[in-house]
Amino acid sequence: MGDFFASLVKSRSGLFGFVLLTLLVLVAIFAPLLGLASPIRGDLLARLSPPTWTGPFNPGPHPLGTDEVGRDVLSRIVHGSRLTLMIAATAVVLGGVVGTLLGIAAGFYGGIVDRVLMRLVDIQLALPLMLLALLVVAALGPSFNNLIIVLALTSWIRYARIIRGQVLSLREREFVQSAHAIGASTVRIMLRHILPNVLTPALVVATLELARIIIMDAALSFLGLGVQPPSPSWGRMLADGRVYISTAWWIVTFPGLTILLTVLSVNLLGDWLRDYFDPKLRTSR
Amino acid sequence: MMKLMKSALAGTTVLAGLSFSLAASAADLTIALSNPVNTFDPHMTASVGSDLSVLSHIYPSLILRGPDLALQGNLATEWTLVDDTTWHFTLREGATFANGEALDAEAVKWNLDRVRDPELQARVASWFSLVSEVNVISPTELEVKTSSPYPAFADQLSMFLLLPPQWTEENNPVTATMAGGPYQVRNIVPGESVILEPNPEYFGDPAEFDTVTFQVIPETGGRIAALLAGDVDLVTGIPVTEVDRINQSGNATAGAVDSTRNVMIKFNTTVPPLDNVTVRQALNYAIDKEGIAQALFNGLAQPAQCQVLSSNYFGFNPDLEPYPYDPERAIQLLAESGADLSQPIVFDVPAGVYLQGTEVAQVVASQLTDIGLNIQITELEFSVYMNKYLQSRELAPLSLLAQAWPTIDADGLLTLFAPGNNYAYWDDADFGAALDEGRSSTDPAVREAAYKTATEVMCEQAPAIFLYTQPATYAYSNDVTWTPRGDDWVRAFDMHPAE
Repeated sequence: MGDFFASLVKSRSGLFGFVLLTLLVLVAIFAPLLGLASPIRGDLLARLSPPTWTGPFNPGPHPLGTDEVGRDVLSRIVHGSRLTLMIAATAVVLGGVVGTLLGIAAGFYGGIVDRVLMRLVDIQLALPLMLLALLVVAALGPSFNNLIIVLALTSWIRYARIIRGQVLSLREREFVQSAHAIGASTVRIMLRHILPNVLTPALVVATLELARIIIMDAALSFLGLGVQPPSPSWGRMLADGRVYISTAWWIVTFPGLTILLTVLSVNLLGDWLRDYFDPKLRTSR
Repeated sequence: MMKLMKSALAGTTVLAGLSFSLAASAADLTIALSNPVNTFDPHMTASVGSDLSVLSHIYPSLILRGPDLALQGNLATEWTLVDDTTWHFTLREGATFANGEALDAEAVKWNLDRVRDPELQARVASWFSLVSEVNVISPTELEVKTSSPYPAFADQLSMFLLLPPQWTEENNPVTATMAGGPYQVRNIVPGESVILEPNPEYFGDPAEFDTVTFQVIPETGGRIAALLAGDVDLVTGIPVTEVDRINQSGNATAGAVDSTRNVMIKFNTTVPPLDNVTVRQALNYAIDKEGIAQALFNGLAQPAQCQVLSSNYFGFNPDLEPYPYDPERAIQLLAESGADLSQPIVFDVPAGVYLQGTEVAQVVASQLTDIGLNIQITELEFSVYMNKYLQSRELAPLSLLAQAWPTIDADGLLTLFAPGNNYAYWDDADFGAALDEGRSSTDPAVREAAYKTATEVMCEQAPAIFLYTQPATYAYSNDVTWTPRGDDWVRAFDMHPAE
């Protein structure tokens, strides 16, 4: 663990991503304690007020302005982080678990299992992700759970593809062969010997996926299929504020910036994680 | 060579956006549409804002609704009500379609027969369900009999476009066109644009523009940008906050007029708790209509006067007063109603259909939350919403809805609430009786009295939260002149090149 942090501190970009992401998660967790205006109730008369910032320690009532029904943009970004991060994290975990398990199964068993699973992946890759999402949400109706299901559904294939490739080479390695020889069951081999060895690539895919899913949530909210109003989510804010971009730039700019920073920090962290776990780059440790 | 010319032309159009504007030369007109044209068969569409507006350039009608919203003759020069159920039309002499087919009483009769043919299943068939007989007296004289009085018939005819009979037998009017109106089709790019040029054979005033282009730009921001860049001459349905900005740009004139579309929160009175009239009244007290009109629409929307009719409708009741904004009274009424309000109440909001609809829905939901209700907004696609509304008949307890009736007559709009009507979700015998009385006569005074009763019943029984009249926002470039109008017609022959 000490080695982990020592390496993190050495990598500036990794540290940047780590600090920013930690900050974000903390803000999300403690959002209700920050004493911000309500993200749901707006003041109609203060509709579309521009950002007020009268001094470094003296932010006005709406430091980032108000939106089209008079709600505080800052508060909506902060409270929106809870929903956005929760959706993204759940979808990543769900997609990751399913994708990894199916990837291991495909790689380990080979044959018909491999062919069926990989054709399934091919079929889904051929379908535009947005279309798939639209179909599922249209069929199941827009709800918080369905949104997560859709996002996970678009995500598992990436894990499955990468993990399968890893497993193909792993299963020929000596330690797997010897486990076979002493009579370990297939399930035991997969879970005890293969799984720990594919966790690293899965983790790296997960960081990339997290970024993609935040953006995807924004895209779905654009189509009115994401988080339902008046609940705040970053994607929702972008979708609702875009009409006002020429008269009230702050409604879309600040959530947009937040998404940008989040995705950037996750990607930087993911980059560093990949380097950290790459044996070829580990000589310095 | 022709092909080369075409691609060169296309190149110029692309360049035009960058360097100079094609629309700058006054003889070319470009109108932005938010929706593509779905069909070119005028009897298979009722959407005035896109399909019918475009088609009204290509096909003539008996009667037009002019820029002042009054009826004026087009093919018909005169129309009279001989008795309660007989209409007499006098047509222009010698009018023809571009292919030489006569545009006479026979052609009109053929069109009326076509839409009434049950086999065709014309989209507009219901407009003519009362028509019982069409008689050709002479090539320029036509008589139409209705099975019962149909005072709005002339208004309805302003949306009824005429196809050439013989040509239609041999061609598919869904995709092909044969002009009889002021313009004819030069080029169609499906889903993108329709380009028109003058029809030299047109019987009326000659066209004033060399080309008229209907350009589909779905995104509001894109439409405004195109207008300010000079690529487009007329856009409608812009957010009210853009009005000042466009006016300040100096390139265009923007504004808003009252439309004929009235926004309400529609109740499904067949499900609890909205089957309880006290709850429905409480909800009306809970909403600050004036505040919404002022704050969200910069005062450009007209708050509803406790009815779905706006003041431009025949049958508008000027004596009704809106429910005042009184949350205290609403809470009190809810307590008195004895209704079970513990369950969340679903509030369906069709996405992206109504001007600032999501905003209005959120304000309404927040004000209803203030009186202690648990409101759950569900945004859905308009087609999904309409399916719930009309096909599967599972309308949510609350939904955001705007309704209009193109004849601008209470008869049409109020019928949407009549007992037994598919759109109603409300059953009130007194209201139904008042409507029947209004329809039984063509005497304006009798009708007015009947609709006065109907609107009073409706206000009292509150089958909806009456919100406001949606403003018809518009902006047009300095290259043209246009009379802003509250119905959805966008037509080149209502516009003129600026001096």
